[in-house]
Amino acid sequence: MTESRHIPVKVPVLARVEGEGTLELRVHDGTIEDLRLRIFEPPRMFEKLLEGRDYTEVPDMVARICGICPVAYQMSAVHAIENLFGVEPGPWVRDMRRVFYCGEWIQSHSLHIHMLAAPDFLGYSSVVEMAGKYAPEVRRGLKLQALGNDIIRLLGARSVHPVGARVGGFHHAPKPEEVSALLEKLHAALPEAEALVRWTAAFDLPLQEQDFTCVALRHPREYPMNAGRLVSDHGLDIPADRFEAHFTEQQLSHSTALHCRLDGKPYLVGPLARLNLNLDRLPDPVRTLVDGLDIRFPSRNMHHSIVARAIEIVVAIRVAINLLESYQEPQRPYVEIRPRAGSGVGCTEAPRGLLWHRYELDAHGKLVSARIVPPTSQNQARIEDDLRQSLQSFGLNQREEALRHFGERVIRNYDPCISCATHFLELRIT
Amino acid sequence: MKIRILGIGSPFGDDRFGWEAAEALRHSAALNAVAPGRIEILALDRPGAMLPAHWQEADIVILLDAIRSGAAPGTRHCLEARDLSSTSALCSSHGFGIVSAIELARALGNMPSRLLVRGIEADSSWTGFSLSPAVAGALPSFVADFAEETLHLADPHALANETSHRIGFNRI
Repeated sequence: MTESRHIPVKVPVLARVEGEGTLELRVHDGTIEDLRLRIFEPPRMFEKLLEGRDYTEVPDMVARICGICPVAYQMSAVHAIENLFGVEPGPWVRDMRRVFYCGEWIQSHSLHIHMLAAPDFLGYSSVVEMAGKYAPEVRRGLKLQALGNDIIRLLGARSVHPVGARVGGFHHAPKPEEVSALLEKLHAALPEAEALVRWTAAFDLPLQEQDFTCVALRHPREYPMNAGRLVSDHGLDIPADRFEAHFTEQQLSHSTALHCRLDGKPYLVGPLARLNLNLDRLPDPVRTLVDGLDIRFPSRNMHHSIVARAIEIVVAIRVAINLLESYQEPQRPYVEIRPRAGSGVGCTEAPRGLLWHRYELDAHGKLVSARIVPPTSQNQARIEDDLRQSLQSFGLNQREEALRHFGERVIRNYDPCISCATHFLELRIT
Repeated sequence: MKIRILGIGSPFGDDRFGWEAAEALRHSAALNAVAPGRIEILALDRPGAMLPAHWQEADIVILLDAIRSGAAPGTRHCLEARDLSSTSALCSSHGFGIVSAIELARALGNMPSRLLVRGIEADSSWTGFSLSPAVAGALPSFVADFAEETLHLADPHALANETSHRIGFNRI
């Protein structure tokens, strides 16, 4: 006998992710017939808003796309424009941009681990409920998040939508005494971040392996942030300006966010993909820490993303310490720019994964066109794939409430930023 | 007795209210006459879960924020922390509001002895960059009355002798 379930379930908002949308699920005879992550948050048209603007305005404008990862938007933008102008801002700027990015990774990952993801794995509906039993861990999380904000403030003047970055460098160089004060906090946080890794690795994480393609930047020596080639674990190895030859964005009728595919197939970006592809780029002490865990990387278990985020917090703290210990105040924290016409590409590793920008400018430095491909739109097809596999093995005969919670959990694991992608959750199961 | 006033906001429209009120209070002669360190005024840009970090070592914390309750734009709101509780556990990385932050602080045992919220109803139809006319119009009297309330909180016994003089001076 065949049976189809048509029971509409409406949930006003998907908890603990950003944005609005619906998960639609059609189950027939115990099999998923159709599954759609319908994203209906209105398009934000950022690329169009940038047209006609001066290149100097771009870093501050793109920072407004996201309250959690403004540094990522600024970094992809400044690299794209400098690529276009043929400018190399030198080692001080390069190092400080890496420190700046460390701040954002620490802040964003810490927020996701404690506020959004950990309650799922520990059986709580929210961090507020979880804080009753796990107060020291939540306090530690808030402390790490504050440390990330401190780093962003050091170079960006403020932690929300920072204003310190410019094409060519920074508007302002921190004073050595500010750097020393921050270094003390970084050293104090290191053992706490290492304890965080062990805490997340000890969660009772579901054992479910999936087949997926990981994509991330890869740098000759460093754990990737601002520079590197685009690589996958399926043979891709291209410079960032070849992105459009392999990655295509597609408009689907059920989503206002574009779906991006690699050679026609879904793929994963973000902490787990980055770690899987860059284990040999971990600083030695972090590699030792990771090797001491019961979890083996590279991992095909998406639930290991939370552990990957915690590991990247340790990476970021160590990188920031390393770069700031030899800090010297420069004569000028930026290089002069001479605009020229052309197009340039920038690709950096936002906390949630690859963030690719391309800009075309005229001879006066005004924007002719912009294209921004955020991590969440790249992960959308992968999230749908994961949902199909995970819900099928979870059992489709479960109650709607259980299916809804399970689906939300799968989605949250990707730390999707729907507003960045434009883009999220209400659940409809039919 | 240490009072910390936190003006919470963001750059555009009526959400600027917390910042504008904090800025006006910084210039309040009445508050500036109080001994240094006893009243601190800060403006915060969407602090999210980091909000409680800003009330360490304060006895009384007062949050100034634009409020949307459905009341007429410009209406004043006076709330105690106990009046605030979220109707659900919903929050997002981008939308961790002050109610969630207060609940988290409460769960962590990190509350000041008193937490007050003072605000003005925002005009939800307003799309301008600066404050709406209703909120801008209500701001000066809000600031004057709030300064008086703060003085009373800082030193309840001195109120009868000094406050009327200070507030009067402020208005000249």
